[in-house]
Amino acid sequence: MKPPQARANVFVEATKSISVSSDISNPPFLRLDPRLGRRGFLAGAGALLFAVALEDSALAQGKLPQGNKDALLFVGVQPNGSVVLTCHRSEMGQQTWTAMAQILANELDADWQRVQIVQAEGHPKYGNQNTDGSRSVRLNFDRLRLAGATMRTLLEQAAAKHWKVPPSSCEAELGFVLHRGSQRKLNFGELVEAANKLPLPTASQVKLRERKAWRYLCHDIKSLTTPSIVKGEGTFGQDVRRPGMLYAVIARPPQVLGRPKHVDDAATLKTPGVKQLVKLPNLEAPVGFKPLGGIAVVAKDTWSAIRGREALEVEWEVGPNASYDSKSFEQSLLKAVRKPGKLARKRGDVARALSSAAKRLEAEYYVPHLAHSAMEPPAAVAEWTGDRVTCWGCGQTPQKARQTVAQVCGVPEANVTIHVTWLGGGFGRKSKPDFFAEAALIAREVKAPVKVVWTREDDLQHAYYHTVSAQRLEAGLDATGKCVALLHRTAFPPITSTFVAGATDADPGDLRLGASDTPFDVPNLQLESGQAEAHIRIGWLRSVANIYHAFAVQSFAAEMAHAAGRDPKDYLLELIGPPRTIDPNQEGAKYDNYGSPLKDYPIDTARLAKVTQEVATLAKWGRKLPTGHGLGIAAHRSFVSYVATVVEVAVDEQGRLTIVGVWSVMDAGTVVNPNHCESQLEGGTLFGLSNALFGEITATRGVIDQANFPDWRVMRMHEAPRHMEVKLIESSAPPGGVGEPPTPPAAPALTNAIFAATGLRIRRLPVFGTDRIDRLKLGTHR
Amino acid sequence: MTIRLKVNGKVHDVDVAGDTPLLWVLRDHLGLTGTKFGCGVAQCGACTVYVDGSPRRACVAPVSSVGNKPVTTIEGLEGPEADAVREAWLSLQVPQCGYCQSGQIMSAVALLKKRPAPTDTDIDHAMTGNICRCATYMRIRRAIHDAAGNLKK
Amino acid sequence: MTPLNQKRSRRSGARTLLLGVAALSTFAALGCGEPPRVKEAPVSPPPLPSENGLKGVAEFAQIQDETQRSLALFQELGKVISSPRCVNCHSASDRPLQSERGIPHQPAVVRGDDGFGAPGLPCSACHGERNFRNMPGAPKWSMPPLEMAWQDRTLGQICEQLKDPQRNGGKSHEDLIEHIKHDPLVGYGWQPPQQLTPAAGSQALMGELFEAWIDSGAVCPPSKP
Repeated sequence: MKPPQARANVFVEATKSISVSSDISNPPFLRLDPRLGRRGFLAGAGALLFAVALEDSALAQGKLPQGNKDALLFVGVQPNGSVVLTCHRSEMGQQTWTAMAQILANELDADWQRVQIVQAEGHPKYGNQNTDGSRSVRLNFDRLRLAGATMRTLLEQAAAKHWKVPPSSCEAELGFVLHRGSQRKLNFGELVEAANKLPLPTASQVKLRERKAWRYLCHDIKSLTTPSIVKGEGTFGQDVRRPGMLYAVIARPPQVLGRPKHVDDAATLKTPGVKQLVKLPNLEAPVGFKPLGGIAVVAKDTWSAIRGREALEVEWEVGPNASYDSKSFEQSLLKAVRKPGKLARKRGDVARALSSAAKRLEAEYYVPHLAHSAMEPPAAVAEWTGDRVTCWGCGQTPQKARQTVAQVCGVPEANVTIHVTWLGGGFGRKSKPDFFAEAALIAREVKAPVKVVWTREDDLQHAYYHTVSAQRLEAGLDATGKCVALLHRTAFPPITSTFVAGATDADPGDLRLGASDTPFDVPNLQLESGQAEAHIRIGWLRSVANIYHAFAVQSFAAEMAHAAGRDPKDYLLELIGPPRTIDPNQEGAKYDNYGSPLKDYPIDTARLAKVTQEVATLAKWGRKLPTGHGLGIAAHRSFVSYVATVVEVAVDEQGRLTIVGVWSVMDAGTVVNPNHCESQLEGGTLFGLSNALFGEITATRGVIDQANFPDWRVMRMHEAPRHMEVKLIESSAPPGGVGEPPTPPAAPALTNAIFAATGLRIRRLPVFGTDRIDRLKLGTHR
Repeated sequence: MTIRLKVNGKVHDVDVAGDTPLLWVLRDHLGLTGTKFGCGVAQCGACTVYVDGSPRRACVAPVSSVGNKPVTTIEGLEGPEADAVREAWLSLQVPQCGYCQSGQIMSAVALLKKRPAPTDTDIDHAMTGNICRCATYMRIRRAIHDAAGNLKK
Repeated sequence: MTPLNQKRSRRSGARTLLLGVAALSTFAALGCGEPPRVKEAPVSPPPLPSENGLKGVAEFAQIQDETQRSLALFQELGKVISSPRCVNCHSASDRPLQSERGIPHQPAVVRGDDGFGAPGLPCSACHGERNFRNMPGAPKWSMPPLEMAWQDRTLGQICEQLKDPQRNGGKSHEDLIEHIKHDPLVGYGWQPPQQLTPAAGSQALMGELFEAWIDSGAVCPPSKP
């Protein structure tokens, strides 16, 4: 099957359409929007169009402003036969375009070559557009299937009517409706007009395709974006160009909440190509998604703007965060976990079990700040017409961009249009739309379209960093080595601090990521959280708090195995325990299960054990290893999916480390595209290994010390393993997350492997600091 | 100042400062945005082009240094190695976000032109300068081997 | 202790130095090569004076014993030889070093068959014919062969290999003098980008010292430290 040409032009606006809302829990799930009525239905521009209003969207809640009758084209069949899907999620390499199209085309039984994607603008009518939390497929799988099946039913009914045969004798196949008896067939496009005149089918008339008949779902369909990418085509945020556009870079305050005190712009204004400077509003806490402030240099091209900024002399007021020194903060975080914290989950009596345990074990772990450093630094273009502004940019959250632009510019949200480009990586950074607001503010001042370009230095020094964390674990083992008590204390500046000034308490939203959901079969279990103050902007980064929680918990599992004299894989399976489901809420946790109901997506220890066993088999766990080699294993559930990873390392006498092999197994339930899920499993695992090996952002006096690669170091080709095997568990469970779950187990699998090879237990990441010498300090630990 | 450049076989006159990196001339002035900006300091390889047939990080190549040497960007990349690499990239579904892939492909093709049957070590040495944050390294390596295999046929 | 304000000049692509706290490392900072601005030496020039931490030849005139003088001259040359601007490319492996600390080059580039880098990633992919901002450059930017490595070697060992045609590229004494005096890549050592410290003295002064050392018998210090 040849892939169709991807639609590189992501700025096509949806044509007018009628609106049909979807409520899958309350059939009939597709119904006419009463405000539009039959007339609206017929006004569908000749195409069979559905606005599948998602239940959390303004449209479904009846909040769409009056007069907005051209709601949206969400899915539709055009008279020329092409199937159009307005993708309301951002494409950032997770292949959401392809996945969404597969789900729809599968139910329609469309001709894949006639499927087109239109990237949705940011608007509440689309429901939740936040491309984060590994949930684009999870949230849209059922809806898109229902929409596709409904359209198929209408087309089949239209054909039946045309041929005057029973609808049951007609079926869609590859963009046509066939009549089984007579071998007649009609193209979808030829049926659009007739289908448009039909009433919507009832729930009983619409049947989803059976799994064995799936043509596109669970198949390795080729990406819709790749054909453009290999030719250098396609538009990323950094690539947007508008007539008369100017370019801006911004001198931002070195410290968060700092502000310019005195500006000498004489040399900047003399820099060739520089047009003007724009002072951005000073930032007030909470930081939210607002711009950091500073001085924008606007020029005829990016280079002139960069040169102009270099010539700018700014004296800064440092603000309240200049006391932040990440080195001393590390000590204060460790202190925070050495004393009892706020109870976040409790089973049994940990204190008593610890005091009576045959053997006690304790360890402290530290994971530094990390930066996303997507290969595309943030960029956005803004263009004003009167009091209305149109923006283009690489945003993961276009609705938040719309809100932020409106708020910062003091215009109604209705005056703001946000177009989403392709994202050159997101990893959570582009969930924060501060750069859209910068572009809008500057463009309004200079009265021309403006592109704000973030340089790599800007990206690394003014990110929303993955938080820094310390954790302390204590265990009590009985005489046989079995864990009978587990205490887990965690402290980190919470993401809440970005939205609530001065917030220091761990949010349940952070704790539930790999801490309050620890699935271990331990009779006495306790989670406590400490307090920590944020001094830089803290935000989500691929798999978020799972990174440090999985690192600590899975490292400690191996430490317990070692203390018990047991094989780490066997011991981990024993900790996971017998097949059962777990509800942390019954043990005092505030657990929301990644926004999905526990009844549909239980914490299922059988699935966690299964990926653990499968990865051990794949990696031939227990085989005889060459001298200096070691195997490490870790397993973790996140974003309602399960991943286990084995890493094999080799360490030579000089302490030089090679990652010899990596094996990873994921159970993500039903997967839309196995090949692309494997790609995420590979990349997400290596992303975790990259962070573990090299990732460390530090701050001195509130200023980030790293400015570019390789101060901030990421994995390169020669550091990637030569051997990697990944495997997906075949499953008919509902689809789980894919983009993030591979990352958490990678780091502990690596450090567990280093321990197995050398006896060196690494409890502070990264494995190699920023010195780039790349030698493990073996001597003191052997 | 006006500088004359030959890019992908076409002659362009651009009015820029001589110290402007070729990258920004390509992207901002010629609209050739397939050449990406990733770091600006030749660390990531996203801006790789060919100057006179040899790979060059466009972010550290002042446009004044290019002279009349022909420039090739991803948009103008042609030939058997380029075809083989693109085919392998599609076949193995190498790209994720795709942002670094112009540079990866430029480097991979440059490698294959010099080493039609590269070893894993050759691949490490040629590709170490191209960062992929999505970490598609496993597939890049396989795709280069596949492309080399297909070129031999 | 925190000042109420601070002055900062924003740079893009450049290191940010703030409150005296240098960022952790410097990228793209290795050294061997220089812009092509080499002046021909006059026919009979007066000896150059001491300069930039490197003594002039005249400073050694009072050493009567020729062997001792030769040794002292080479010790002085050691100030240049040990500079990161030289050692970083005269590294003891296939991979060059970079920065003042002599850390492994990032990315992990290699010498390649001819010293000009690996197939697909030549040195010239990044290093042009002259410096560009923080990126070092010089004509024919390349690494010397492995047998000319200076990293982790004593001055005596370096001295011996310099004189050994098997390990110096088959160069005669005259060739060596010419190379050191006039090769633009050698000259880079004194003309690195602004974030890097130049080697001691100047190319011309090193050339005079080297010539004087050859003339005094090219005596080497002991190989063992």
